[in-house]
Amino acid sequence: MALAFNEETFREDYTYRNSLSGIKRFPFPFPEDQYMYSVNIEPHTKGKQGSVFEFPLDVDEHYVAECNDKKITLEQDPGRYQALPHMMDAQWDFVELTMESLARDYPKHFSLHKKGSSWTWENKPLGIKDTFTFGDSSTLPMEPFEYMGRQVQGDFVLLDQRDETLYADAGIVTSQADWSLAFNVGMSWREWHGPVPRATELGVMDRALKFMLNLQLGSPVRRLNWTMTVNPRLDTSPENYPYWGGDRNAVNPDNVGDLVNLRVELQSLFRLPRSNAIVFSIRCYLISLKDIATIPRWAKRLHRVQKSMHPDLIEYKGMTKFHPMMVDWLAKFDDGAILEVGTQPE
Amino acid sequence: MERGYWIRSKPVYTSLVWHEKATSHLVVAQGEGGMAVLKIFQQMHPKQPITVLYAHASASDVDYANTLKKVVPEGLQILASEQEVLDELKTILPTMRMGLRVYVAGSEGFIWAVSEAVKVFGVEDADMMKELTGTLARSIYCVHCKAITHNITTNIAKCAGCERMLFVRDHFSRRLGAYMGLMVDAESPGELPEIEEIYP
Amino acid sequence: MSTINVKIAAIKQVTPLIKHFTFVKEDGSEFPAFSGGSHVVVSLNIGGRVHRNPYSLMGSPTDTSAYHISVRKQEQSRGGSVFMHDYVAVGMSFKITYPVNLFSLAKKGHKHILIAGGIGITPFMSQIADLKRTGADFELHYAFRSPEHGAFAAQLAKVCGDKFHCYIDSEGDRLDLQALLGNQPLGTHMYVCGPGSMVVAVLETARNLGWPESHIHSEQFLAPPIGEPFKIQLEKSKIEIQVPAEMSMLEAIEAAGVGSRFSMSRRCMWAL
Repeated sequence: MALAFNEETFREDYTYRNSLSGIKRFPFPFPEDQYMYSVNIEPHTKGKQGSVFEFPLDVDEHYVAECNDKKITLEQDPGRYQALPHMMDAQWDFVELTMESLARDYPKHFSLHKKGSSWTWENKPLGIKDTFTFGDSSTLPMEPFEYMGRQVQGDFVLLDQRDETLYADAGIVTSQADWSLAFNVGMSWREWHGPVPRATELGVMDRALKFMLNLQLGSPVRRLNWTMTVNPRLDTSPENYPYWGGDRNAVNPDNVGDLVNLRVELQSLFRLPRSNAIVFSIRCYLISLKDIATIPRWAKRLHRVQKSMHPDLIEYKGMTKFHPMMVDWLAKFDDGAILEVGTQPE
Repeated sequence: MERGYWIRSKPVYTSLVWHEKATSHLVVAQGEGGMAVLKIFQQMHPKQPITVLYAHASASDVDYANTLKKVVPEGLQILASEQEVLDELKTILPTMRMGLRVYVAGSEGFIWAVSEAVKVFGVEDADMMKELTGTLARSIYCVHCKAITHNITTNIAKCAGCERMLFVRDHFSRRLGAYMGLMVDAESPGELPEIEEIYP
Repeated sequence: MSTINVKIAAIKQVTPLIKHFTFVKEDGSEFPAFSGGSHVVVSLNIGGRVHRNPYSLMGSPTDTSAYHISVRKQEQSRGGSVFMHDYVAVGMSFKITYPVNLFSLAKKGHKHILIAGGIGITPFMSQIADLKRTGADFELHYAFRSPEHGAFAAQLAKVCGDKFHCYIDSEGDRLDLQALLGNQPLGTHMYVCGPGSMVVAVLETARNLGWPESHIHSEQFLAPPIGEPFKIQLEKSKIEIQVPAEMSMLEAIEAAGVGSRFSMSRRCMWAL
């Protein structure tokens, strides 16, 4: 099925919107009325048709607009793309993974033809067609990881595995929440996660590292993470914090439903073949409270989750300023009916 | 964005101690770092060859050059500045062999400048012994304009590049040799928390 | 864990003790590329019991039409290598895991010293292909018992040219570790694979010379030693399992029919 791509923006006038089917397929992350502090990692296997889990890399109605927003961010700050020199094999692994996935799963929009190491890639939605030699960077207009990183929704970090840990040695990061690639590039797992509160105390990050070091080729995994954000803005980077930090002051009881968005990250991890590196993919989905309210089950659930949220977590997720308004706004959709466990819309 | 932070990225510094197993030793120090060199030379000397590079301190620091000349039996080079030390490393490292042990002492900025210089020759910072001497002052990387401001002793400081007031996070980049600085009043312009001297 | 269905396309006797096996995919499609130093685990059903044997992939990591392994017949075998030598024939089918790399090259290394003893040459075959592809500086030092036991020596001499150094025990050649490891430029990484005693000697020499741990890489490529039989108790299911001497614990658990939970329950909790 061919996708229709929205014309929309993720900055200034924020014309971003979800269609009715876009709302229905939103990866709502709360199966229970109370938010569980920890989340399971599960195999990143084929999900239901039409869901965001149907394919390894999800392409949706926001594809073109998101790639455009990425382009603007990279133009303003080229430092959002970084790759240390020893990551070239991993860059090509990334090209293979993304081109093969998109061409196989969205043949109406993307195609890949291989003649030995001569590959021809066509991306119809973005109007790109290039023939290049796989493994030879000089045959592409830019480094291979940046080339494809610009043609896939989401952020990507390439992790090199050595000395029993992982190093964030390359990345293309334009829709991150609260971390800076330019600052973090080259850091080990422990250095990178320096700023995560309490998690280290629990040894959780060490367990996650151990799990990732054993990640197998052909067996990718995924998890969901979430936060609440003001405006459907992808670039909530520390770099541009001076420009968006003040947005939180604009929230009032009348506009909270429009301004506040649930931001869900679909994080997936793939072992890469030639480099033995790992690609960490962070795909961001945004939905306004108002759109959530069109799904009664989700509105009730979100209300209960937020109402019972631990104050430390409210602070950590940056929601302190608008959290009470959000809970009040959601309360009117919650009749107290018992909800079964699960994230389904109906 | 000002939240509770755990400090895992902050480097660990120790006192310099000779490695027993080595083919040669290279000690690099500047200014107050001279004291660390004096201390390590009070320990039993290793059998393998030792090279010492010492840079004179800036005007305000104690200078150990003359004392070191008396204590270090051979292989000592006194250099005029940090830059001369970094240049000298480029000259001598290509002839050094695996089994070389590297020891660095000085300010945090000096330690990580040396670390970047030796990294080019395949010596990783994990393989280097580091002693922080003298000031605890920090270098701050402005995440907004990318400028690095040196010698910061307070929790909040003005960026030398964009002049924003930055909150100093306990998040350290070895590659940049600096802590992360983030605009402190982006959400409420002009509202600054109390500025405290915390890294004297 | 995902597995790949393969069949044997060719078998070749390389030395009196080493056989080379070529795998192709059963459905005729291409294998994934892999990184130098990777191995696959081959599942062998021997007399109704599943043995899992790891073997290094030997071909070029960029050749995805076939996978290659070599197996040395172990006198004190747990069954796997004897089975591979005496019963496996062209056309037979197996399940193998996707490639796993526990012996990867240090991508930031400025120079790479590879030291192999006997069948320990196998993981280096694919590493050498990677090193040559990226134009990296390397040396291969290969020690073996006698000329007829030097598997792939002629091929390696051709591929590596003056980077190849071989040491034939029966001819009195000795590898001087002290001289080799005592005179390498900064940024060199060292890799050793071979019999236990050789690995220990190499590691000890490197450490005594002051090589940092992060520059020392080893893989001891031997079948797990045959131990005393013992009993284990599974905490959750309260099942007691007898582990015979020639079986590993995981194999015994699997034979007792509780195995699938072990390999499948890899779910992990992750913060926030």
